[in-house]
Amino acid sequence: MYCLETNNLTHRFTKENTVLKNISLRVTEGSIYGFLGPNGAGKTTTLRLILGLLKKQEGDILFFGKPFERNRVAILKNIGSLIESPSLYGHLTASENLSLLQKIYRCPRQRIKEVLKLVGLPHTGNKKASQFSLGMKQRLSIAVALLHNPSLLILDEPTNGLDPNGMIEIRELLIKLNQQSGITVIISSHMLAEIEKLVTHVGVINNGQMLFQGPLNELKSKQQESVSVVLETSDLEKTVHIIAGHDIKTTQEDGKLHMPFVSKKVIATLAQQLVNNNIELYEISVVKNDLETIFINLISK
Amino acid sequence: MPNDFLHSFQGEWLKRKRSLASWIVVIGGFFTPTIIIIARLVNYEQLAALYAKADFWTSLWQSSWESMAIFLLPLGVVLSTSLITQIEYKNNSWKQLHTVPLNFSTIFFTKLLVIIAMLLQFFILFNIGIYLSAVIPWLLGSGVAYPAATFPYKYFLQENALYFIDCLPILALQYLLGLQYKNFLVPVGTGFILWVGALAALSWKYGYLVPYTYCMYNHLKTAAPGKAAIPALNIHYMAVFYFILFTAASFIIYITKKEKG
Repeated sequence: MYCLETNNLTHRFTKENTVLKNISLRVTEGSIYGFLGPNGAGKTTTLRLILGLLKKQEGDILFFGKPFERNRVAILKNIGSLIESPSLYGHLTASENLSLLQKIYRCPRQRIKEVLKLVGLPHTGNKKASQFSLGMKQRLSIAVALLHNPSLLILDEPTNGLDPNGMIEIRELLIKLNQQSGITVIISSHMLAEIEKLVTHVGVINNGQMLFQGPLNELKSKQQESVSVVLETSDLEKTVHIIAGHDIKTTQEDGKLHMPFVSKKVIATLAQQLVNNNIELYEISVVKNDLETIFINLISK
Repeated sequence: MPNDFLHSFQGEWLKRKRSLASWIVVIGGFFTPTIIIIARLVNYEQLAALYAKADFWTSLWQSSWESMAIFLLPLGVVLSTSLITQIEYKNNSWKQLHTVPLNFSTIFFTKLLVIIAMLLQFFILFNIGIYLSAVIPWLLGSGVAYPAATFPYKYFLQENALYFIDCLPILALQYLLGLQYKNFLVPVGTGFILWVGALAALSWKYGYLVPYTYCMYNHLKTAAPGKAAIPALNIHYMAVFYFILFTAASFIIYITKKEKG
């Protein structure tokens, strides 16, 4: 069963401005779903829609198989969220911020200490939230999202403002929560590198459209498909002719030839043939696209 | 459902802790009584005659409400209601509040109830203040006896209830404005303009149509009836009518809002 499923979610801020076009998210239970896209792609709008912060216009939103609109309160009991910047009451302490939600969620008071310890803020005492650094606010916001032991965590760019160490800590915390407590996590980001080591599934969005959705391995297999070979020789025309003899298509860019990687044996044969035909071979290299390049290729299509 | 309401109320009540609005309630409650105490201690030689009067308590009540009914209470309600709703905008927390498992109606009414409870808190503190302004000169031994007149419980309770009802339209309209506008100056500025309008409308025969006039009318009807065109109809019913009207309008606007944070 999908933990979260949206069908053809479409949203317009004005008649001319369609910000989301037929978004169909599929988040499997127990997964860590990375929702990727550049700034302004529609990530936050999607997350605000699925949490009911924006009025739905077209499409369906289902959590745990139930329509969100008709089961809003029951569904929200199982969801923890952090949307964009931290939402904290600056005049209250960390513990007070959690305390007011602890009353609403009716979870044990002990839980406040537990989550503060979990996010590394056990000793903030009487310090008001407004005096916290951005990183501390971000951690406290994650504590707020975790307070009631939700089964689904929706985090919109939760590592914004965190230093590299903080990012690693949050990543480890999310992996731990996912593996030990089985919490499903949806995490949005505009940087694949940031969440590559964390997610099990990926959804890529750009200009309000889903470009890719599936397990991270599927995205990685695209990486294999996109390996290419670059050749630089003294006679490109002759080289193209020789390569064409192997039924391989080439493209020319910056005085170099690009061809798809076929096999090591073909590369060796080609090199031999070029030398035998008195063509000087200056460069022959294999170019392996990393996930970031694939992501950029996807969003720049 | 009643439990949701109670827990939501507890949460909302906690939010007002250390806020400027909660300080306004405390300071507002004791401001006029403090001035009265100081004035009485300065003019202590007149106290003996004053404390012996049969209408000591009612005249103390009238003088305590003079600035309160005209100036401090309407503006205090404008300011504190706007400050309470501003807490969510200021802390960017509407989105957090709207993703907790509570009905939107529960959120709306608990927030409103917190403001009403703060108003009630103000009335309690103000009454304590009025009582203290009578007994402190006596306790300080300024040569006066405890007031000879019997304490008019019924009168105090009745007048408290009327003033409370009379400021509900201000509270409801300010709540509506505070929920609508992120910019704090809009509700406060509008409230101030309406208060000035109410002052100007006091001598107009249709002044009772302005919802910010009722506290003023309630005070002036006995203290200085010549200073205002006291309406013949029951202004307290008008206050209740406006309160219901503004609350209903506010609720409809809030519930149908397309963006909730």
